[in-house]
Amino acid sequence: MATPSSVTLTTREQRAFEHWQARRRWARAGLIYALMLLFAIVFVGPLMFAAISSLRTDPLEYPPSVVIPQLQPSNWSAAARLGLAGNGDRWFGGFAPGAVVPFEIAYFVPAGVDVVEPEVEVPRRRPGAGLGAVLAIEFAADYASVSALERRPDVPMTVDTDDGVIEGRKVGFAFTISYEGEGPEIDRLPLDVTAVVGMRYLESTLTASRLERRGRTASFNNVAPGVLGYVLRNYVRVFSEVRSPATRQSLFLAWIGNSFSYAAVRIVVTLLIASMAGYALARLRFRGRELIFMLVLFSQMVPLQVLFISNYLVLRDGIVTIGGFTLSSLWGYPGGMLNSLTGLVFVTALNAGAVFIMKQFFESIPREVEEAAMIDGASHWRRYWNVVLPMARPALGALTILTFQGAWNDFFWPFIVLTSPENVKTLPIGLLSFRNTYGAVGDWGLILAGAVMSAIPVIILFVVFQRYFMEGVSFGGGKE
Amino acid sequence: MKTKRVDAVAAYLFLSPFLILLGIFFVYATGRAVYFSFTDYDLFRPPNWVGLRNYVALFNDALFLSALRNSILFAVIVTVIQTFLALVMASVLNQKVRGIGFFRAAFYMPSITSSVVITLIFLWMFQRRGLINYLNETLQRSLPILLAFVLVVVAVQVAQVAWERRRSLPATWTDPALLVVSLLVAGGATWLLVTTGVLSPRDVPPVDFIWLQTRDTIPSGAPFWLAVPIPLAAIMIQNVFTTIPTFMLMYLAALQDVPKSHYEAASIDGANATQQFFRITIPSVAPVTFLVLTLSMIGTLQMFDQVAIFGDAAPLRSVVTLAYFVYNRMFPGAQTPEVGFAAAGAMFLAVLTLAVVLLQRRLVRSEGY
Repeated sequence: MATPSSVTLTTREQRAFEHWQARRRWARAGLIYALMLLFAIVFVGPLMFAAISSLRTDPLEYPPSVVIPQLQPSNWSAAARLGLAGNGDRWFGGFAPGAVVPFEIAYFVPAGVDVVEPEVEVPRRRPGAGLGAVLAIEFAADYASVSALERRPDVPMTVDTDDGVIEGRKVGFAFTISYEGEGPEIDRLPLDVTAVVGMRYLESTLTASRLERRGRTASFNNVAPGVLGYVLRNYVRVFSEVRSPATRQSLFLAWIGNSFSYAAVRIVVTLLIASMAGYALARLRFRGRELIFMLVLFSQMVPLQVLFISNYLVLRDGIVTIGGFTLSSLWGYPGGMLNSLTGLVFVTALNAGAVFIMKQFFESIPREVEEAAMIDGASHWRRYWNVVLPMARPALGALTILTFQGAWNDFFWPFIVLTSPENVKTLPIGLLSFRNTYGAVGDWGLILAGAVMSAIPVIILFVVFQRYFMEGVSFGGGKE
Repeated sequence: MKTKRVDAVAAYLFLSPFLILLGIFFVYATGRAVYFSFTDYDLFRPPNWVGLRNYVALFNDALFLSALRNSILFAVIVTVIQTFLALVMASVLNQKVRGIGFFRAAFYMPSITSSVVITLIFLWMFQRRGLINYLNETLQRSLPILLAFVLVVVAVQVAQVAWERRRSLPATWTDPALLVVSLLVAGGATWLLVTTGVLSPRDVPPVDFIWLQTRDTIPSGAPFWLAVPIPLAAIMIQNVFTTIPTFMLMYLAALQDVPKSHYEAASIDGANATQQFFRITIPSVAPVTFLVLTLSMIGTLQMFDQVAIFGDAAPLRSVVTLAYFVYNRMFPGAQTPEVGFAAAGAMFLAVLTLAVVLLQRRLVRSEGY
């Protein structure tokens, strides 16, 4: 039946069918990538969006948007120029004696409305709320003087509104704010420009921070900010405004320092204790080994809430024995170890998961490597310290990273142990007091800026050492 | 004989720092918590033995009952939703493609970030004029446009598949190559309809849903044990969001080991995608499902951080969990601490957690995994 032509036809059909299938594979791969991208956006989205919104003057401003003045290059160059004029500092700006800050503002005035010069005022406004508001500060209002307004040539223009097109003109005003005479250097120069009803704010040298009084007042937080002072305003505020009322020391810096020291000490303690215990459990035969291992497993199942009652009391009172002698008095904290990093490290040093990881790893090292050392008569300690431990570098590396992440993100124990004063706290607990102080007054810029900064170290670590995190997940199911 | 003893001495020396810590912070702590749970200790006066009174009092305490209800609803609902979504997402993504490392890093981002950072960001998004309400409003506004898009996708896809089948090509309803075309066509058509003004966003009243400062529940007016307080639902959403990626990647690893031939054989036998999902995918990843369910149950039963961070942003009754109940009774602000009562609550939580672990062990053993 089969003629030569029909055979070629079937091979051609065959080829067409293969082609058809290949197209499906390509399309499927394309759809998968699109979906993965979508999931990635969903999971990274809130963090990214919070990071962008933390630049806004008010992150709660409605509607949420990523098109914000802080990301417009025209504002960056204006902020740099104004910073130079105010304090000779293009990055952080400020207002210093001898400064002459030029500023322009433009309004749309509909045809038939009379132009009235707007009122320009440097207000006495306290920066932010909460901890920052209690600090004594100098006000730019006491030193600044505003020049007479110079009217710019009008430019005819129209504006589209819901009620149709409105004819009118653009009216601009220029003025300078100068610092005459002697005085302190002031870190911000706020400004309010109020126009009459009918004149609509269009634009200014720097975009207004917000419009008040039904759009009549264009309010500026700082018209001499410098680039960083403008774009990263909330970040600068985190360091400059959040200070201990007593010592004026920056609390955020203290928290960062505490978090780093907590993580560093905990890494050393965990590596040492866990590798020693893991070595003994993996390599040495002794009575009670099974019991101890059972306890290691069991201790991971008991909720922290069961343990923290007694552990809190141990830190507060020490272990009370006969005659009122307390264990904690041995290391010089007779008044208890609450509110100290020592107490925090002490109570978190028990890490059964780390012991488990080290035990697993030591079991994977062949016994032969120790035997040569054993024949030389090396002690157990030398075998552990000189032979086995150097071989355990990968496990120690993974443990270091996971411990850092665990300590940096740790919430429960610092929350229990570190309560006062403010400067003993670690970052997560400090951020919580941020929320309590600033959340109530709706100052989310500060909170988001703090949160974003405190997330950065772990994100950098994750990007560099991704592999270890994945191992950690397979070891411990996502927990330390 | 002698080396054995040397070994034992060395072993205990190596173990000594760990054993001392284990002794003080685990064995002693657990023992003391059990003891306190039978006393009326209040941090200041020496404890008196009261027998089972604390345990009985737990079930007459309104805050404890709220905590119990919240914890159980939270654990069950979150576990079910996140396990299911993780599995579905993993099986959708189950393809060997290059560059998965980048996406995996992105998926992990929420789970490596600290609970405080994530919770603060979510608190901000759950504000009355926050992102969540805005997205909700935008979704409602653009409903006609979305609907049109979906309708066009379905119509074009059906037309294409019918056409291919008439040419006797074995196209399935979800044929990827045709789907790409359908999506592009629908995208273009919707864009055209919107720019020409045929379709426009609906007018909807602004969404002003109160997520935090409210005592309302979902469903509103439900019986006590079935009512999910709205602030708790907000924490549920956050928890699902942060935990799904971890579980999804665990599932993805397991799915990559399922032989492709199983799916091919099934599709030759005429099983569709849904049947394949239930008949092949779910049974082959059952061991991972057990692990995911256990990890998720234990994690959610012990939820504490989010409640502590929400603090006064939501009414205590609406978010309190068993773990937070223990803390709250231990440090009740201006009132006298009720350590014995707190310890009894902690025991309850511990027993609940251990029950989940044991149940999982037993199930795994009887199923032979």
